[in-house]
Order: sequence, then C-alpha cells, then structure tokens
Amino acid sequence: MLDTATTLVMAAVLAGTPLLLGALGEILTERSGNLNLGVEGMMFMGAITGLIGSWGYEQAMAAAGIEAIGAVSALISLLVSFIAGGFGALIYSFLTITLRANQNVTGLVLTIFGTGFANFFGEYVGLAAGGYVAVSSVTKEAFLPLHIPVLSDIPVLGQLLFQYNWIVYFAIGVAVVMSLFLFKTRFGLNLRSVGEDPAAADAAGINVSRYRYMATVIGGGICGIGGMYMSMVTTSGVWVHGCVTGYGWLAVALVIFATWSPLRGILVAGIFGGLMIVRMYISIPGLPVQIYEMLPYMATILVLISTSVRQSKEHAMPASTGLNYFREDRE
Amino acid sequence: MKKKALAIVWLTVMALAAFMLVGCGEPAASSGSASSGGGTDSVAATGPSYETVKVGFVHISDPSDMGYTYNHDLGTQQMQANLGLSADQIISKYNVPEGAECDTALRELVDAGCNIIFATSFGFEDYVKEIAAEYPEVQFCHATGYQAASSGLPNFHNYFASIYEGRYLAGIAAGLKTESNQLGYVAAFPFAEVISGYTAFYLGAKSVNPEVTMDIMYTNSWNDPTVESQVAKALIDRGCDVISQHSDSTAPATTAEENGVWQVGYNNDMISAAPNASLISARIDWSVYLTETVSALVEGTEIPVDWCKGIADNVVYLSPLNTAIAASDTQAAIDDAAAAIKNGSLKVFAGPLLGSGVDFDNNPVSIDIPAGEYYKEQEEASAPSWNYIISGCTVIE
Repeated sequence: MLDTATTLVMAAVLAGTPLLLGALGEILTERSGNLNLGVEGMMFMGAITGLIGSWGYEQAMAAAGIEAIGAVSALISLLVSFIAGGFGALIYSFLTITLRANQNVTGLVLTIFGTGFANFFGEYVGLAAGGYVAVSSVTKEAFLPLHIPVLSDIPVLGQLLFQYNWIVYFAIGVAVVMSLFLFKTRFGLNLRSVGEDPAAADAAGINVSRYRYMATVIGGGICGIGGMYMSMVTTSGVWVHGCVTGYGWLAVALVIFATWSPLRGILVAGIFGGLMIVRMYISIPGLPVQIYEMLPYMATILVLISTSVRQSKEHAMPASTGLNYFREDRE
Repeated sequence: MKKKALAIVWLTVMALAAFMLVGCGEPAASSGSASSGGGTDSVAATGPSYETVKVGFVHISDPSDMGYTYNHDLGTQQMQANLGLSADQIISKYNVPEGAECDTALRELVDAGCNIIFATSFGFEDYVKEIAAEYPEVQFCHATGYQAASSGLPNFHNYFASIYEGRYLAGIAAGLKTESNQLGYVAAFPFAEVISGYTAFYLGAKSVNPEVTMDIMYTNSWNDPTVESQVAKALIDRGCDVISQHSDSTAPATTAEENGVWQVGYNNDMISAAPNASLISARIDWSVYLTETVSALVEGTEIPVDWCKGIADNVVYLSPLNTAIAASDTQAAIDDAAAAIKNGSLKVFAGPLLGSGVDFDNNPVSIDIPAGEYYKEQEEASAPSWNYIISGCTVIE
C-alpha cells in the first residue's frame, strides 16, 4: 500500500513536470496581460530544438574526436530550448504588442506553427541522421534520476523527494524564483500592474510594452524547456512525432487551476500529473479507462466553476489579460 | 454577386476535375507504352511494368518510432532493392492518423498514380475498404485487418504474419530471465491481435518457467511513447521485472533500462536503444509479402485475399539474443522450440487450454481446448482471432 502510494506520487511528479514548466511560462505571460495560447507550439519548438541541440553537440564532439560530456549536452539542450520557446513568444509579442493583432488568434497560430516546425525538423533531421534522431547514452544519463548520497537513501522520504531528474528540481526552482519575483520585488509589482491595468501602469511611468515583451519572451522560453522535458526525458532523447500533443493545452488549463500563482502551480501540476497516470496504479473495478482519462479535464471544469462562483479578486485572472494596450485608445 | 460566386465555384470544380483526369490518365498511358516492349500477356499490356509500377504506403507513424513503422519501412526498402524500383516509384505517407486523414492520404496516393497501396495500421481498414470500392483499378493491401474476404472486393487484400510464433519464442527468453516470476506487458488495445500476441508470449515464458505470471496494462493507443513509458513504469512498480510490449515505440525498452529491469521487444532490435535491458525482439520481415505482392501485380498473377506466413518461411524471426544479459541456456531453448514449430510438432495454442474474454460487441465468450487439439490461430484468416484471457494473465484496468 505504502509502496503503491510512493510510486504513484513519483510517477505523478514525473508526469506533472512538463505541465508545470508550461504553466509557469504561461503564468508569467498572463501576469503581463498577454494571453498566449501558443504554449503547445512553444513547447514543441523547445522539444525539437533541445533534442537537436544535444544531438548536434554530440555529433560535433564525435567529429572533433572529443568525448561528449553529459552535463554540457544537457545544458545546451536547456539553453537552446529556452531560446526556441522565447523565439516563438517573440513572434507572438511582435504581432500582439507592436502590431496589436488579436491575442487568441495569434496564440492559436503559434500552436499550429510550432507543431509543424517541430515535426518538420524532427523528420528532416531524422532523415539526415539516417532514419531517426536519438541522443547517445552520455546525454541520456544526464537526464536520469539523480542519486544524492545519503539523502536519496532515506527510506520512502528519500524516494519521494530526492530521486528525480534535475529538470524536476529546476522546475520547482523556477516556480519559487518566479513567485519571489512577482510578489516580493518592485519589478514584479510593476509587471502585475501592467497585467491588471496597463493604462494606470503607463501613467505611473512603467513601460508597458517593454514589460509585456520581456515577460512573454521569458515565459515562452520556460514553456520551451517544458517541451524539452518531453523529448529528452519522457521519450528518452528520441524524436517522436507529435510527442508534446495535448500537453500545451493542459498547461494552459493548469494556469487557471493554479489561479495564476507559481507556487500553487507546483501543487496542481502534481495533482494533474497524478490524474493522468492514476489509472495505472489504482484500479477501480468496472470503471472504464476512458473515464480515468477524462479526469484532468473534469478537474479543470470544476475549478473553472468554483473560481467563477467565488469571484475572489486575489484568485482571478489579471484584469487586462487578453486585451492589447493602445495608449491613445479611448474607453 | 451570388451568381458570380457560383460561377467561380463551378470553374474551380471544373478545373480540379480536368486536373484529376490528366493526373489519372498520364500514368496509365505511359505504362501501356512501356510494357508493350516486354509484352508477355494481356494483363501485362494493361498493367504496370517494373519500370512504371507505383507503390504507395500509408503509415500511422514514421520510422523515427524505431518500432512498427521503422520495421515496415525496412521491408519497403528491401522490396525496392529486390525488384529494382527507383525511389520515385515509392510514395510513403507518414504520420497519418486513423481518421479522415487516412481517406485523404489514400486518395492522394491514387491521384499520384499508385497502382498498389499498402495501408499498415489496423484502424485504416474501414477507409481502405471504402476507397477500394471506389477505385477498382488500384490494388489495396491492408496489414493486420480482417475484412477483405468478407468485403467481396477483388482489389482489397489483408496481410499479416504469424507473429504469435515469434512472441512465443521471445517469451522463452523472458521466462528464463525473470527473477520475480512476474512479467509485464505494455499492450495497445484489447483487440485479438494484441491478446493473441501476449497470450503466446506468456505461453512461451510458461513453457520454461511454470511459476511465471503476467500483468497486462493497455495504453489505448498504437503509438503513444509517453503513455507507453508511464505504463511500463507502472508495471515495474508492480514488481514486474521483464517488460514486453505490443506498442510501436522503444519507450518501454528505455523505461525498463532506466529502472534496471529487462525487456523483450517487438518489430525492431531494441538493443541499441536499451543495451542493458533489451533481451530479444520478435520481428516481421515485411519484404517477403511486399516483394511477392508487387511482383504478382506486375506479372499479372493473383494477389491472395489473406496472406499470412510465419517462422517456417522466415517471415517472422527473432533479432539476435543479447547474450550479455540473457540467461545462459536461452538460445538453445529458443532454437529447440523454433525447430518444433517449424516441423509442426509444437502448436502455440495447444490444449488443454482454457480462456475467456469478450467479443467485439462486449459479449462474454470462452474457449476450452481439450488436450491433443490446438487453436488454429491465423490459419484460416490472416488476422489473429485468439481473443481469450488465460489463467496466469491478469489485465490491470
């Protein structure tokens, strides 16, 4: 029983981590007043570029006759996926902030673009590599669960807390830093004011466009890392067509579930991850698998209902999210 | 205004129709002239020659899965080499979902002038049947399906391999290796094709290890590496120490390796993906069927409605055993069983065997094979039909 609970929690954390990263990126974005529905696209872009980054590094090292280092390969993967996600968000920012295109439409376009981008380059590089792209065991080992001496060996607790791959800890770190930034620094306050009421923020001398650009691009980069998790950890460094499909949208739903709070995001990502894999661990006789697979989506609907019933200001979407800011606009 | 719009629509339709007529007419004309040189009989005069035949493929995934589609694609390449076809005579459509996209892909292949089209995933069958009725001049071959014989269409064929024989042999490697006597099976769907496969795998393991049991968990997808990996992990967490699979990707293999257990693969030698976990894989050599069928089309001989061959014809085979990690007497045990299957003295689904399950309409069904008899799996139709869960196998749901 305890074993089942432990393994369920561990599997939930692993399934929830890409969702957490996607949701964190989107929380930062929405806090600035941009509703970027292109999370899935940016995750896809991060997934393929992260994989190509690692693979390219290995190929270059092999060509130069130098032994590849797993940590370097992982770091390259991280940076490249961040840049790719950020690039996707930059397109979105340019269209919505500078050209004031409709945010929903632009986000959807970004999703379609990113999906095509990743699958195209996945297949293209696969053909170039002679069939398929896969990283070597050096890089794979860099993404295996860590083993921290002493800590990882504590029974149960060590398993529950100290036996994940490094991206899990990285994601939690991002959540903590983002929470501190949003709620404890002046820049965070400025960003939140831009998301709530850009006209007031503008009048207070805050550069609305700059804040929106920065938050959206960095948020997109974090989404990209979430995609990198899918290609490097979930599919173990092998490019699989459409490997991110669905996760980006779950991440968008998670933002609502987390009520735009990065720390709450950690918890609800774990719950979402758990709902996705619970059928493999706890079986209720007679309950069809399809019902289990609905659970994350049903949870989202329930949260939407409960937040709209409560009408709490603190847990509401930033007031200007989804609306473009135009200084000369008359209300 | 409305008139103008109508006129534009009309013109577009006409233009498309003209375009399609040209598209269809061209290959037929060129093949006629090319084959007249070698002209042997009346069929060859109207049919394509080796220089002009166009072969289409519809795949659910692409070779990057390193599993099912990769393996089928290897068959395509081998067939191409066997028959000396050029690259532009083969059109492969990858990553086609089992939905309306399949219909589109099939029509595109027909429009591109394909004389024969292979659709390789189970869920394509309904679309293949429909299009086959519409284009009687094109041959359609569907892998793993069961409807060709009943459809009555002369240009619609089913093909598969007796993969259960390979699974049985691969099961021997698992049965000898397991320490917990608990096997885990990542299964795609609760269909006969899958149930037949894992039952054979289990029977193979049991033949060398009577203590062994097996847990089966469904992914409800042919190809979803994320879920395959999660299901494999869940099985390992239940105590299974050899994981096998009826799913398309290498995710179960890499998950087994990450968790320090062993794996038996399907479709592809997965040792390169998981050198410390993958013991052996059951594989299908699709090139045998593809070569036979494309030559039959060109030579004008009949393409069988149902085609199924196995170990005896080397259509089903095993990838090399990973001797570094397999139990010491594995190869000998597999060789003995393979020889017995080939000479007919060993039947995989041999009595006494009791099984129960549900049919397509969810009605309970059961089977009781007495000692001395056996279940004629894939002997009358190419599609597997064993649909029963036997004792020792537990489906987790």
